[in-house]
Amino acid sequence: MGATGDIIFSGLFQGSLYAIMAVGLALIWTTIGVFNFAHGALMMIGAYATWSAVDYLGLPLPLGLFLGVAASGLIGWGLQVSLIRPFIGRDDIVLMVVIMTLSAASFFENGALELWGPRPKQLPPLVEGTVNLPGLIVSAHQLAIILISPFILAAIWYLLHKTRFGLQLRAVAQNEEASQLVGLNLKALYGIAFALSAGLAALAGIFLGGFKFMSPVMGSDPLLKAMVVVIFGGVATISGPILAAFIIGFIEAASSYYFGLYWTPAILFLVLITTLMIRPEGLLSTPTRRLS
Amino acid sequence: MTYNRNKWSWRAEALALAVGTLVLAMLPAVFGDTYTRHMLIIIFIYALAAASWDVSLGYAGIFNFGHMALFGIGLYGYAILTKQLDLNPWLAFVLAGGLSGLAAVLMSLPILRLKGIYIVLVTFGFSQLVMTLIVSQSDITGGTLGIVRIPTLPIAGHNLIRDGKIGHYYMALTLLVLGLVALRVFVRSKAGLSVVALRDNEEYATSRGISLARQRLLTLLVSSLVAGYAGAFYGAYLRTAATDVFGLSLTTLILSIVLLGGIGTIYGSVVAAALLVVASEMLANLGPWRPMLIAVLIVVVMLAYPGGLMGLLRAAMPTRRQPTAKSGRAASSEPVET
Repeated sequence: MGATGDIIFSGLFQGSLYAIMAVGLALIWTTIGVFNFAHGALMMIGAYATWSAVDYLGLPLPLGLFLGVAASGLIGWGLQVSLIRPFIGRDDIVLMVVIMTLSAASFFENGALELWGPRPKQLPPLVEGTVNLPGLIVSAHQLAIILISPFILAAIWYLLHKTRFGLQLRAVAQNEEASQLVGLNLKALYGIAFALSAGLAALAGIFLGGFKFMSPVMGSDPLLKAMVVVIFGGVATISGPILAAFIIGFIEAASSYYFGLYWTPAILFLVLITTLMIRPEGLLSTPTRRLS
Repeated sequence: MTYNRNKWSWRAEALALAVGTLVLAMLPAVFGDTYTRHMLIIIFIYALAAASWDVSLGYAGIFNFGHMALFGIGLYGYAILTKQLDLNPWLAFVLAGGLSGLAAVLMSLPILRLKGIYIVLVTFGFSQLVMTLIVSQSDITGGTLGIVRIPTLPIAGHNLIRDGKIGHYYMALTLLVLGLVALRVFVRSKAGLSVVALRDNEEYATSRGISLARQRLLTLLVSSLVAGYAGAFYGAYLRTAATDVFGLSLTTLILSIVLLGGIGTIYGSVVAAALLVVASEMLANLGPWRPMLIAVLIVVVMLAYPGGLMGLLRAAMPTRRQPTAKSGRAASSEPVET
């Protein structure tokens, strides 16, 4: 029971974090059609901003959490306005945004190093202590995240599928010109999408900071995993990345248990490359016929 | 999509390249100190790594994120062949470039059918796989410690250690010029044209009988050979091999050089490599401010001149501009320098 329970718990926990990261990344990819390499840096900023609010200013954690998410969202919005908007509508936008967001990530990571120093920091957990589940003892913080995440993801799903704003966002994703013709404010929608994505990244960062030491480069590994998840699940739907996040989480947990932490990334990529060779559009997306 | 084949005649370009080579060959006379020469050698190696990436990224439009792994395979190939197998360094050098080409063929097999963003992931995954392999096989590769005291490329009757880096400088320059010539010959050839055609209008190009898979393989092969030799020379010059070459920071740096120079130009990479290495040196003692300022520099240049430094030069030379090329159009739709 011990091994299986461990793998299931760890898979659920990693999956929850990856899902929150990946949904934000997928949101940008579906609406603007670009990959945001600063997503990990935004995650780190959220965690550090919360740390400043809680440890430095002595505010309660819920307020600090809100401030961290808000700060990251604001920076995400600013990032979109200054670095991405100028390239909208150009046919080399994907490449340009890659270098712009990579530069931004380097800027933020080194800025955090200058501002907060290299010493590792830790956030207080959401819930203190441990919980005795049948067969294994787990940290309450991780269990809380596993329980909270579905609500966050459901809220995002509701926002995208059941509200007017979500409808507009999906319209823009499908056809930029037509949405402008019917009077949608493209700039505002892109800005909000970016802020939302950055806020989600911050949330993942704050969750992560509650049980792992934070560092200026804490976002790079989760970003990589979120990338894997997004491609694996396809970006056609919001449920694709969420489902893929949990699959990747479980593969990782099982592989860490049986093959050790060391070979896990290689196994992950091997699974992925094989999947993409068979299903070039991602595992969970509806395949479209194309010329090639 | 304007594409002017006769923008540069063969002769004009060969002349310009010869003059440029001559100027660079004179530089050691101006810069006597070994430190400046060392910087120039690094610039040449980075320029070659970036220019070869420009072929797959800029000309073919393949989002190849495994490029620095190919560079790294050249580096490790040279290191292992000389250090573990005691091969003659020159023979090892020749073989190391070939190894990188072989790896590129392996890497391109899964991406022959893939589209845009999926290629990013598979190529990135490939580079992570290579890195994991190198770190895990530590008895051969030195693992996380890397390999030190790699033999350098010897020149008969010449002492490379006490010559003020002159020998290495001219080796690097020779490699740079040969690499640039190889890349330019490729992009100016019929094959190179078909690669650009595939980038600009894939459906039309394939309908005219160009094979996407075959040209993709060819492009990556050419690009990887040049990158592999640059990597092998990097090992021969620095005499160490470490897994840093697979890391995101070097990838970001070389990618910045490609884009800052202007994609689809080849020569832009040389200009941008010089700018970034010199700027980076000038800010050397600023701690974390250095990468921050470099990031700002890249962002500002790209916002002002999306065509990169070559776009800037082109804008400064009105005689070379095409009446058909609209300013403000995307760099990739502007005529490619040929």
